[in-house]
Amino acid sequence: MRHATKLAAIAAAAALSLAACGSSSTPSPGAGDTPAGTGGAALKVGMAYDVGGRGDQSFNDAAAAGLDKAKTELGVETKEASAVNGEAESARKERLQQLIDAGYTNIVAVGFAYAKSVGQVAKANPEVKFAIVDDASPDSAGPNVDQITFAEEQGSYLVGAAAALKTKSNHVGFIGGVQTDLIKKFEAGYVAGAKAVKPDIKIDVKYLTQPPDFSGFSSVDKGKAAAEGMYQGGADIIYAAAGGSGGGVFTAAKAAGKLAIGVDSDQAKTAAPDVRDVIMTSMIKKVDVGVYDFIKSVKDNTFKAGNRVFDLAAGGVDYSTTGGKIDDIKSKLDEYKAKIISGEIKVPTS
Amino acid sequence: MSATNLDVAVVQETAAPRRARPRWFWYAVVAGAIIVISTVRVLTGANDIDSSGALTAGIALAMPIGLAGLGGLWSERAGVVNIGLEGMMILGTWGGAFIGYHYGPWAGILGAILLGMVGGAVHALATVVFGVDHIVSGVAINLLGAGAASYLAVRTFTGLPGGGPTQSPPLEQLPFLSVPGISDPLGDLEQKQWWLVSDVAGLLRALLTNVNVLTIIGIGLLVLTWWILWRTAFGLRLRACGESPVAAETLGVNVYRYKFVAVLISGGLAGLAGGFLVLVASNLYRDGQTGGRGYIGLAAMIFGNWRPGGLAGGAALFGYTDAVQLRGGGDVVRAYLLPIALALIAWGVWQFRRRRQGKRITGLPMVIAGLLSLAWFLLSARVPDEFTGMTPYVATLLVLAFASQRLRMPAADGLVYRKGEAG
Repeated sequence: MRHATKLAAIAAAAALSLAACGSSSTPSPGAGDTPAGTGGAALKVGMAYDVGGRGDQSFNDAAAAGLDKAKTELGVETKEASAVNGEAESARKERLQQLIDAGYTNIVAVGFAYAKSVGQVAKANPEVKFAIVDDASPDSAGPNVDQITFAEEQGSYLVGAAAALKTKSNHVGFIGGVQTDLIKKFEAGYVAGAKAVKPDIKIDVKYLTQPPDFSGFSSVDKGKAAAEGMYQGGADIIYAAAGGSGGGVFTAAKAAGKLAIGVDSDQAKTAAPDVRDVIMTSMIKKVDVGVYDFIKSVKDNTFKAGNRVFDLAAGGVDYSTTGGKIDDIKSKLDEYKAKIISGEIKVPTS
Repeated sequence: MSATNLDVAVVQETAAPRRARPRWFWYAVVAGAIIVISTVRVLTGANDIDSSGALTAGIALAMPIGLAGLGGLWSERAGVVNIGLEGMMILGTWGGAFIGYHYGPWAGILGAILLGMVGGAVHALATVVFGVDHIVSGVAINLLGAGAASYLAVRTFTGLPGGGPTQSPPLEQLPFLSVPGISDPLGDLEQKQWWLVSDVAGLLRALLTNVNVLTIIGIGLLVLTWWILWRTAFGLRLRACGESPVAAETLGVNVYRYKFVAVLISGGLAGLAGGFLVLVASNLYRDGQTGGRGYIGLAAMIFGNWRPGGLAGGAALFGYTDAVQLRGGGDVVRAYLLPIALALIAWGVWQFRRRRQGKRITGLPMVIAGLLSLAWFLLSARVPDEFTGMTPYVATLLVLAFASQRLRMPAADGLVYRKGEAG
């Protein structure tokens, strides 16, 4: 009996440690190798990804692209770590601190989930320079923190205008992953853009989950069910600002013979091959530019703390034209783009 | 000889409440529900309330919950609480995707079942052989399942075309079947929006066209489970292990073996639930894909009073309400306020008229709640999105509030059993 209990305890411990394996950080391919031609000590950059990590074909991969570019062009040394679903605040703090302890004194935190951790770790390590993507709150602010945000509403305005110009049923849709302030910015811009073209257009809006339930970014089947409902209800173009759930929206679009709009990266290039032809355009958010700019600023000693907004004017957001489905309305979209850049159109953020 | 003795004891216990309701009662309930829903649809114009699209989506969302619940049923009928369903389901998603990618979707089904069974084997080993507390082991399985799956995903999906550390490449889907030649006529009939006729057409269209083979297999497993557990000697002995393992032991049943087999099957079914998510609902593996559906499956089983039919009802209710809210059903949820309001008022008035002091007190708040619902129905065009998201949970709470007194779990469920306790 006693033996059995001990064995069970060992089994449980083994289970827990195995469970921890899944969250262990994966070193980047080629971490530690110093590219030739840099001379002296290379700049060391640590990157903490959001849930999904490198390889999510979306948000994190965009950040990774910026890091890769810095590696080849600026010869920095890198180390990467990734978050897991539903982890505690302390786990994020620990991850940042571990990167610093390993000597990576320039930290990029990807995603607003890191806001509080960055704020606290930055205070404890004033000599380390931080960048956080997608957060400009006081939580993460500090004299050594570069807050990188994007004007998603401006990019969304353009794809909203594109949807309104292309719809035949005068009825479009928006599917958000989780109803957070960040995703509401996408909705606000999209609705404003569509209404600017056709004031009487009908726009269905659906968020898959409410915070703190963040599963809406990874529930392909829920994205599909929501999109089916909108298409059957008469919408013919849906903007999917739902991370991984967007795949379900594209599947539904394909089955219904209708169109969809991608998000974050040019999804007509990155989505599953069989659904790429339904992606009319994508709202591109150039996280890579933000990340690269931060690393470059550190290298050139031009680092500046505070919030930097990457908007249309700065090339931080844009729309994609892969597939040629919006070539005929491109001139109109570029008109709107120019007006936003000049300030003639003010895009609402909520 | 031993089996017959046990037969008498168990059958009396479980069959008694069933006899109070003849078989036609449930047919009447279904027919009544269709008539009420159809009437509400015509009165309010909320046509998505029972459109074939909403029902099809509801079935697809109900299947993983129902299969996980079925897994829970096997385990708990043998007396082992299985809160580890979620972890086994996660293992199943990876197994289904990995095997499905390399050997095709049919093999993927087996892969999902197999990986779920691995989780079940660990749970069985801990709870049945070592006598670990069922909840502790279940929670460990959930952590283990999530960790192992994301570790395996990193190792196996990185670098594949379209795959990454957190998602698999797109998978080939299992085929969808239809009864030929009825989709269009039924669709036309549905479009007419006639009272009752269009609703039945929509229901038939959802049930008979574009049904995935795995859905059919899942429903088959539900019936098979009922038959094995309630109509065979094996099932009787298995349930005896959940009701009174000591009694079963005295009659010569190898309780350990039955419990072990039950938990293994439980894991396999939970794994299949994960496989459904991967092979039918989404056509890829993704980290965090199960989203707590294993727990909802467990809830559906409790909701269904540890019986296959009730469990199917619970899963269907959950799947349907989830489909309605995902399809932006603000108008549908509003439409449901009308029958709910009328039912509450009617019941409240009836209670009030019974003139018994205690009943009067319960009748009054019901009438008030009914009037409030009616006012909400009349004053709004649709229920706000924040509220429709809660619909599956509110509906479950409402039904449970009325039905919970009738629930009875297996008597020895969750108790650690040691051989030789019979003395």
